[in-house]
Amino acid sequence: MSAFLEIKDLYVNAGEKEILKGLSLSINRGEIHVVVGPNGAGKSTLSNVLCGNELYKVISGNIDFNGENLLPISVEDRARRGIFLSFQSPVEISGISMSTFMKYALNSHRKFKGLEPLDAISFAKHLKIRAKALGISDEMLKRPVNVNCSGGEKKRLEIFQMAVLEPELCILDEMDSGMDVDAVKIASNGVNIMKDSKRSFLIISHNNDFLYEQIKPDYVHVLVNGKIVKTGSKDLLLDIKKSGFSQFQKEI
Amino acid sequence: MEQVKSLNNFISEVKGKSEFYENVVDTDTNIKVSDDSQVFHYRICKNVKNTLKVSLGKNSVYQLITLVLGDAEIGVDIDMKGENSSCKSDVVYVEGKNGKATISTFLQHNAKRTKSSQLIKGVAFEDGKADFLGRIYVPYNKKEIEASQQHRALLLSKNALVKAVPMLEIYSDDVKCAHGSAIGSLDQEQLYYMKTRGVDALEAHKILTYAFLNEVCEGILSDDLKNTWEILIQECLGQNV
Repeated sequence: MSAFLEIKDLYVNAGEKEILKGLSLSINRGEIHVVVGPNGAGKSTLSNVLCGNELYKVISGNIDFNGENLLPISVEDRARRGIFLSFQSPVEISGISMSTFMKYALNSHRKFKGLEPLDAISFAKHLKIRAKALGISDEMLKRPVNVNCSGGEKKRLEIFQMAVLEPELCILDEMDSGMDVDAVKIASNGVNIMKDSKRSFLIISHNNDFLYEQIKPDYVHVLVNGKIVKTGSKDLLLDIKKSGFSQFQKEI
Repeated sequence: MEQVKSLNNFISEVKGKSEFYENVVDTDTNIKVSDDSQVFHYRICKNVKNTLKVSLGKNSVYQLITLVLGDAEIGVDIDMKGENSSCKSDVVYVEGKNGKATISTFLQHNAKRTKSSQLIKGVAFEDGKADFLGRIYVPYNKKEIEASQQHRALLLSKNALVKAVPMLEIYSDDVKCAHGSAIGSLDQEQLYYMKTRGVDALEAHKILTYAFLNEVCEGILSDDLKNTWEILIQECLGQNV
């Protein structure tokens, strides 16, 4: 049986440039995987390709998600099938509040599952519980999407959206960048609260300390030059902290 | 607060704090805002030809939001006569099949310490057209003037056409003035972001188009009126976005 997410020998271009060069990775339900690597290795490309971003072109290889070929599926249908990306730099949208945005998003997820839209009271409750757990005020939810938010607030709102939509595969791109220590704690608490036997995480990061102590991943992958060059337990993070990525760069 | 539903052919002096809603007709409108008064004025201009003339007394505040739909030729002429007066003149326009909006604004800073701000946002689809001419005039020797004018338009089809001409005539040397105009299509990054949250492509187009215009409508104080405008705008956008 194939894994929940199975990426096989994936080659991806951005424009004319080859970014991923034969990447393979499998993630089972309930596992937390971390991908680390130097700048330009292809980490953000990997997360965007999983979401179906049209700026990235799959040249060859396969991605299967939950037993289905993911490649022909649109961005929005991937989201409704349970793939969520927490953006490295969340996009600002003026003229629509975060809570209204989430109403559209959640109801479109529900429609896909054949469920009725949530009524106003249940929706407000659904939002409030999650906002409270992540230290997000009512005022922040009334603001236009990500407008007038600090870097840390934007990242917290990404985790909030993840909590609202309850995806099955959570991809977090540089989740700790632009956040102070407290905000990182809130966000990693969010991940830990959401962790269960059915939900998987793919976390892309530079910061080894926070991953090692607060996330405790099941697997760590090193991505160098478009390929996973090493996979290990969380102790691999300690190794990288000591000696950097150059040890892996020599292997290719 | 005094609320007047209709202001057609209104030529009068306004005192105190008032709020006016107006379904504009072809007869021109004149308003004189008295010293120390505040006026909030909302105009729906659908298939009309109309010029609004406003003069502002000392320390007065005038806030105008105009919705332009269909075939309309609209002039807004605001004379900041009194010292320390300020005005806001925002516009939303939606132009579709056979629609053309001609919007000319003329803001005169005829006294010192006067302030004006303008946010003009519009959408054109099918063969919808819009011309915006934004004139700002600051005469010689008027000090401490602030003026800002921003125009943004979305073109949703190949045959839609929007022209914007900002015209700044500034003869004073104590002026802070900012202006800009941008005409383009929906932001691809915003669309992608919405789709990654499961919102389908068509709906994301609609939401973003409406959100784009809503930045102006958010300035409306009354929720009822906000809803009325929302319905009018949605009707006009229809299935075209």
